[in-house]
Amino acid sequence: MNVTNSSWTVLFISHIKRDVLVNTRSLIDVISVFGFMLLIIILFPIGIGPTKEKLDIVSNAVLWISLIIAIIPSLEKMLQKDFDSGWLDQIATSPAPLEIILLAKSISHWLIVIIPLILASPLFAILLDLEFNQIPWIILSMTIGGLSISLIGIIGAALVLGARRGNVLLPVLIIPLIIPILIFGVGINEAVKIGSSPLAHLFLLIAFSLIYLVISPFVSALLIRIAISR
Amino acid sequence: MFDWLANPNRFNRITNKVQPFFALVSIVTIIFGLYFGLFDSPKDYQQGHAVRIMYVHVPSAWLASGLYLSLAISCVFYIAWKHPLADLISRSIAPIGALFSLLTLITGSLWGKPMWGTWWVWDARLTSMLILFFFYAGYILLSNAFERKIDGSKSAAVLAIIGVINLPIIKFSVDWWHTLHQPSSILKLDGPSINEQMLLPLILMIIGFSFLSSYLIILNVKTKLIEKKCEALILKSNLNEISKLG
Repeated sequence: MNVTNSSWTVLFISHIKRDVLVNTRSLIDVISVFGFMLLIIILFPIGIGPTKEKLDIVSNAVLWISLIIAIIPSLEKMLQKDFDSGWLDQIATSPAPLEIILLAKSISHWLIVIIPLILASPLFAILLDLEFNQIPWIILSMTIGGLSISLIGIIGAALVLGARRGNVLLPVLIIPLIIPILIFGVGINEAVKIGSSPLAHLFLLIAFSLIYLVISPFVSALLIRIAISR
Repeated sequence: MFDWLANPNRFNRITNKVQPFFALVSIVTIIFGLYFGLFDSPKDYQQGHAVRIMYVHVPSAWLASGLYLSLAISCVFYIAWKHPLADLISRSIAPIGALFSLLTLITGSLWGKPMWGTWWVWDARLTSMLILFFFYAGYILLSNAFERKIDGSKSAAVLAIIGVINLPIIKFSVDWWHTLHQPSSILKLDGPSINEQMLLPLILMIIGFSFLSSYLIILNVKTKLIEKKCEALILKSNLNEISKLG
């Protein structure tokens, strides 16, 4: 069967549309992720104490850690439903390239789950007493970092397909891979905070995301073919 | 060539010959290394006797990282050529590598208590080693997470290969993070200006630990082979019983 480049684009866009539609029909997932992140952010000042000085030291790290922790439960759902319903089997055996569809899946996860969190980040920034000049950088760093979390996340979701206690296993496998994102992401915002140039961290974060943009579709496609052959 | 090596019976025959030799070499070098390291080497002018922890710490750190590389290589063989023996070897390497990284962390913190005054410092090397330990743990957990053990082999092998691509990135980012947050570490364990009397026991211990880990891995693989044979025998007798009933 002839699959031309333009039909790959059509496939890509139609799959993003499908995933966005499926997820926006019930907004419960998006809302629960947002609520989870809000609650984690609320927990930190309660644990640390209400003084502004203490919160000032950790605020950037708190924002990033709560972003990562809030996203992780949603990663497993990226593939689990489609795997259980047999949709993934059909896609894998069809002539459509699985890699393109998985790339579309991670992009749509980024659109559905992470972009709303980024849109809400000014609210989180106010809660954590961050300066207003930091907000554009927070949005920029989280947009890029969030994309690479989605790209790594789909690898993790494909790794635990069909495993016992996959939802517990997933964070253990994923968090070590996410560490560089946390380091570079917090680095960008810390550099802005002390007034130096955040570009070094930003470029490293972009480089890291680009590596995963290249390898993630192929690795997750390989893993899904493994999972289906079980 | 690899097909030739991938035969379990041939593996048994070859390892039967080399295994006693490995055991002998590791026992002799570890005994001599420990003697030279603990009794017959100078104490460090800064660290005192605490420097002797290095003779266990550095070889374990080397082996923890080296074994991860060999784990990834054997996983590549499993993914590319699907040799079942490669899977058994990677499953055997993982717990031993995890053990050595744990040993590195424990000796590191034992050394840190008199030197730094705390059990744990977020030193770049210790942090990278901790992350390496989590990679080992992830491999072990994932490879055993399925109803049938063999189902987890391929996914776990892919995880190990992703890990070996990622570890340099993580190592770099942790170093980067560390230089930004803290002044450079108090002292380096492996400087180029190491005393010769310290170098000898260190080399002996590295050789001894390497042979010890090879010995243990071979032992592990053999046990797993016997396990497989037992499973096959049980399956066979069950089939016989069923055919008798039928």
